[in-house]
Amino acid sequence: MLKDFLVLAGQSIMHRRMRSWLTVIGVFIGITAVVALISIGLGLERTITDQIASVFGVDTFIIMNEGAFGPQAHGPGGSEEYALDLATLRAVEGVKVAAAVRERTAFLQGPPRSDGTPLQGFFPVSGLSPELITEFESFTGELKVQKGGRLFDVGEEAVTVLGSEIANRFQASVGNTVFVAGEGAAELSLTVVGILIPAEEDEGSRGVFAGGMNQSQNQDTIYVPYETMDLLWGPAKDVLITVVRVNPGEDVDEVADRAEEILNARGSEISAVTYTDISEVIGTMTSTISAFLAGIAGISLLVGGVGVMNTMFTSVLERTKEIGVMKAVGAKNGHVLTIFLIESGLMGLVGGIVGTLLGLGLSAAASSIIGRLFGVEMAVVASPTLILTTLVCSFGIGAIAGLWPAWRAAQLPVVDALRYE
Amino acid sequence: MGGSTQDGAERIHIYRTGGLAVPLLEFRGITKDYRLGKTVVRALRGLDLVVEEGEVIAIMGPSGSGKSTLMHIVGALDTPTGGTAFLDGQDLQQLKEHQLVALRGKKVGFVFQTFNLVQTLSAQRNVELPMIFQGIRKGERARRARELLIKVGLGDRVKHKPNELSGGERQRVAMARALANDPEIILADEPTGNLDTESGTPVLAMLKKLSVNDGKTVIIVTHDPDAAAIADRIVRLRDGCVVAVSSYGVEGESGVPSTGCDVDGSINEPSTLGTTTEGDDSHA
Ligand SMILES: Nc1ncnc2c1ncn2[C@@H]1O[C@H](COP(=O)(O)OP(=O)(O)OP(=O)(O)O)[C@@H](O)[C@H]1O
Ligand SMILES: [Mg+2]
Repeated sequence: MLKDFLVLAGQSIMHRRMRSWLTVIGVFIGITAVVALISIGLGLERTITDQIASVFGVDTFIIMNEGAFGPQAHGPGGSEEYALDLATLRAVEGVKVAAAVRERTAFLQGPPRSDGTPLQGFFPVSGLSPELITEFESFTGELKVQKGGRLFDVGEEAVTVLGSEIANRFQASVGNTVFVAGEGAAELSLTVVGILIPAEEDEGSRGVFAGGMNQSQNQDTIYVPYETMDLLWGPAKDVLITVVRVNPGEDVDEVADRAEEILNARGSEISAVTYTDISEVIGTMTSTISAFLAGIAGISLLVGGVGVMNTMFTSVLERTKEIGVMKAVGAKNGHVLTIFLIESGLMGLVGGIVGTLLGLGLSAAASSIIGRLFGVEMAVVASPTLILTTLVCSFGIGAIAGLWPAWRAAQLPVVDALRYE
Repeated sequence: MGGSTQDGAERIHIYRTGGLAVPLLEFRGITKDYRLGKTVVRALRGLDLVVEEGEVIAIMGPSGSGKSTLMHIVGALDTPTGGTAFLDGQDLQQLKEHQLVALRGKKVGFVFQTFNLVQTLSAQRNVELPMIFQGIRKGERARRARELLIKVGLGDRVKHKPNELSGGERQRVAMARALANDPEIILADEPTGNLDTESGTPVLAMLKKLSVNDGKTVIIVTHDPDAAAIADRIVRLRDGCVVAVSSYGVEGESGVPSTGCDVDGSINEPSTLGTTTEGDDSHA
């Protein structure tokens, strides 16, 4: 019998084709907006998490200043640097490699320039674990040195790699010596082993976390091995970031927790951040944004629902006599109600189908535009859950919007309905 | 609904053991008031009517005398305000809504003056409509609808929409629809009222045949003497009362007019009748 009612409802919709389409348009505009916004949000989230996953892999975590990450991240003004005992970290069970970056400003003196006098002054010094370059290239980007130079190796101490700009200012070349003044009486003469390729010639190799040594800055910096920093200043609160890889088969979250606990027990104030932590934060961020956008789009959906209601009221009114006839030949109130509900639900559903298709198309188009604008490969997500929910909801919206008119239709007394002109 | 038919059967049983044949329709002192704000329109004022199974009854009377109102009550489309109304042994006033729905669907078939076909449906689908609500299967339904359309002479019009049919043809589709669930009673409210004699004649002939061949009870409201001619009895209404019951051609008081009808002698002044104001009854 439901099938017959479906046919009756369909026939009535087709009979009022123009108005039905207009109603459907009202619904699908809202659905399109909701589906497109949510899909774009999902795509964005997928893109970001994919990127992070490609950097992190499943075996890596980073150590940041406590509170620098997460929902309660400290406000501006708080220091991002922290103190770290790298040896202790390396001894934590499950840790395979750990590499860190520390940075401070120091008094430097270059080799004699062409006029015979050396340049002196305060310049930034970055201490990089050599492992950062050899093991975590995805974090640093590929640091490239000019011909004739090299990067430093594990175990080296009195060596340095110069940023191209600072090399120019010092008029230094490979083999020269740079003098660094450290804490108290500590001082070292470092041999220049390499000079970085200037930024313009080195495009596209920037790693996500190379920002630890900000690209615009890094040609202005001298790089030394991490251990050399210890020789000059001892352990200090100047570590920017630490990257840790765990042994194969270890649970990265477990090792991260362990490292965090051990280091904090020794006076560091750090938190260990894994891929899981980051994707969680990004997930809540993007879903908050897309929920907000979808909420706005939902308003247009509401307007569409009111449109369905209006159409159904008109439909009930102009079919009053037909309702009377149906009841006169034995239709129950429930039958009339069902026919009208199916009718409004169908319009909602058609609006849902059209809206979903358009919404997915729109999100694909938007993704490719966003991707082109920002030079990233945007993921296009067509979530089956989203599609199914949308279709069920759109039928629901139609049916609910039709509920009141349909109920009114069903309640009409037969004789009154028949008398209606 | 199963319960209601059982009740009916019991009643019949009681009547039969009492040695009385139960009339198909037994109306006693039926009143019907319509309230319009403070005004009460007394459409029926204590009407008596008994109809036996298989009879053809013509109901005649001036406009506004309550003919349609009576038909609606017989067809379970409306309920009386007062009096007792038994249809096939069931007290119409005691029936629940779903039982009334069952009566409309299966026991009576209604033919309207204005056809009342569903414009969006073909002739065949219109005839199928009452069967849809009874949950009859598609194949069976379509077969029966075509059969009925052939019976009313429209075998070649099954796919036509109402507005592609002539008035006479529309009324014959309506007849086929009234017969869809094989009802015992056919109610026709001015079935030829919108038709010329030429297209009206086959409709009347068909109604007569239903009584003669199929033993159905037929009640026709009409102004048309031709229609009255096919009736076994003619019931005349005025101001909501039966004023005369006669056989065709036998004008006058061959039957008994309503006894309980409160026409209070103002029959000859119809303009003051039918409408009174609430609380003003005594002056009417
Ligand atoms: N729904 C209603 N509300 C108020 N008054 C009504 C209603 N239906 C009928 N009436 C009144 O009841 C009286 C009887 O109406 P009814 O339709 O039964 O007349 P009728 O005999 O069928 O007339 P006609 O030959 O013109 O069809 C009329 O006075 C009419 O105005
Ligand atoms: Mg009438």
